[in-house]
Amino acid sequence: MNTTRSNEKLLDVRGLTVEIDGRNGPAVVVDGIDLHVNKGETLGVVGESGCGKSLTMLSLMRLLPNKIKVTKGSASFDGQDLQKMSNKELRKVRGGDIGFVFQDPMTSLNPVMRIGDQICEPLIYHRGMKKAEARVRAVELLRLVGIPGPEERLQAYPHELSGGMRQRVMIAIGLACNPKLLIADEPTTALDVTIQAQIVDLVKDLRAKLGMSVVWITHDLALIAGLVDRVAVLYAGTVVEDAPVDELYARPSHPYTRGLLASIPKLSDAPASRLSSIGGTPPEPGRRPKGCPFAPRCPLAEAVCHERVPKLEPLSGAGNHRTACFVVQKMQEAA
Amino acid sequence: MSAIPLSPVAAQEEAAVSLWRDAWHRLKRNKLAVFGLIVVAILAFTAIFGPYLTPYDYLSQNLQARNAVPSLQHLFGTDDLGRDVFSRVVFGTRTAFLVAVIVTVIAVLIGTILGAIAGFFGNPFDRVIMWLTDMTMSVPNLLLVVVINASLKSPITKWMEAQYLATLDPFYRQTIWVDFILVFGSMALISWPPYARLVRAQVLSIRSRPYITAAQALGLSNWIIMKRYVIPNALGPLIVSVSAGLGTAMVLESAFSFLGIGVNPPTPSWGNMISDGLRVWQHYPHLLAAPAAVLGLASVAFSFLGDGLNDALNPRGSK
Repeated sequence: MNTTRSNEKLLDVRGLTVEIDGRNGPAVVVDGIDLHVNKGETLGVVGESGCGKSLTMLSLMRLLPNKIKVTKGSASFDGQDLQKMSNKELRKVRGGDIGFVFQDPMTSLNPVMRIGDQICEPLIYHRGMKKAEARVRAVELLRLVGIPGPEERLQAYPHELSGGMRQRVMIAIGLACNPKLLIADEPTTALDVTIQAQIVDLVKDLRAKLGMSVVWITHDLALIAGLVDRVAVLYAGTVVEDAPVDELYARPSHPYTRGLLASIPKLSDAPASRLSSIGGTPPEPGRRPKGCPFAPRCPLAEAVCHERVPKLEPLSGAGNHRTACFVVQKMQEAA
Repeated sequence: MSAIPLSPVAAQEEAAVSLWRDAWHRLKRNKLAVFGLIVVAILAFTAIFGPYLTPYDYLSQNLQARNAVPSLQHLFGTDDLGRDVFSRVVFGTRTAFLVAVIVTVIAVLIGTILGAIAGFFGNPFDRVIMWLTDMTMSVPNLLLVVVINASLKSPITKWMEAQYLATLDPFYRQTIWVDFILVFGSMALISWPPYARLVRAQVLSIRSRPYITAAQALGLSNWIIMKRYVIPNALGPLIVSVSAGLGTAMVLESAFSFLGIGVNPPTPSWGNMISDGLRVWQHYPHLLAAPAAVLGLASVAFSFLGDGLNDALNPRGSK
């Protein structure tokens, strides 16, 4: 698919644990997550609301709010441990090597600053550009993300742009310094369907042009099918399945992934048939079950699932397809 | 063919209105606010240029024409020393503005800096600063000013006299600056806490907005985020409260001068003129009416303007 892809790890997260200091003591929200992104690769991070997708990404950049803390684990980016960096070094990485695109374009831009100035900000700060140089680059960036009339748009305030346009501006800001990694946190959730498709196409296009790695966080498995190379499925703060995208769609193995895929409506469904859904809700932080976090909702759960936590293990016959499920692993061995 | 006029260019140009111009349009529609703005503008002009344009000096006495009633020569009449009341009211405007502007600027600077630090950096700064704020607010204004005046005025005046005797520098003979410095200082001291609280509350709510996280994700330093993201967004309510605060500071200055702990005669201040007029108002009501009416007008104008700005800058809160 992408020629610049290699097996060199750009981002490597190991055993990252995030806890919230609540009234009833600390509650684990991200439980020992393992993730990696290779150079030039696009990783989709999928899961329901509240499963820790956004918190994981924010914790990488140490952008967590006060009461939420990383308690264990490491996250190295390009060979440097992000958790151990000084604030000054970290600021160089933020916006410089790692670009962020946030969920809600309506509130993620500074309402009292012209968008031109907002795009110039990282250029001036990270690349030491003069204002005039930065403006030239800003026009270039706006053209890159497909905003018509970029010269005039520099003077616009965020409220003068539509949601889709604002998200394009956010992407332009994220891309300003040619980052090695772009983290997009549900960048299409606040947009309508046609704009969603445009944004997905735009990022696909940009990735091919700029050869960067992308982490695309979403709850919409269908949306990213054509965009990502690999998918990590998150449930209750842990990775339950990790596989190349085609493999995942062809052979979903974890019961949760199967449930997610089954709940996508298909054109081939019988008219007026009920949408399938996964019963129950994810565990609240602080009330995680003792064994597999998905066991209480799992149709295949056995006694062992309620007792011990399964590890993410490769499936036999596919080294890069890993899943964390006792039942599936047992079935594999039997087969 | 349809006859619907389609002009996307015109629509775009109309949309290209800045937040401030938008607010200005809303302000213009509010009649009371426009009245307030005009009065404030006239008063400001008077404060700056008035004393050069009055026909009489505010100090020159004319003992032939004492306590004269208003006439064409003396618009507001003359006082018990035959000084032109109109000229004194005009100079009083300068006093009032000078005190109000300087006090408000100092109070807003202190309040904004402390409030922003408290709100942005949280504890332990927050706790200490809010503790200071509460402490300052717990002392009755008047009491604090009286205490400051009583305890500092005579040492400073004595020190100035000593300096004059030692250096013979005429600067040290102008005791008017002692008045002003004490008034500025004590009034600023009691005026900053509301600004600190307001800015802190604003910053607390702004700090949790997504664009602040977005700015942090861009690797901007706390200082830049504070300067370019937090404070400009907190400015709307602050402007409203500054407008109201200017009016309050004017009234406060008059009140202190009225009580004899503010600006002292012969420097005219609306407050000390009212105080003088009060003694003889049954015989010469114009001596009380002129400064009191101007003070009332100024106070009302500032509060109308503040109200109008409030509606203009927070369109969602108004209706």
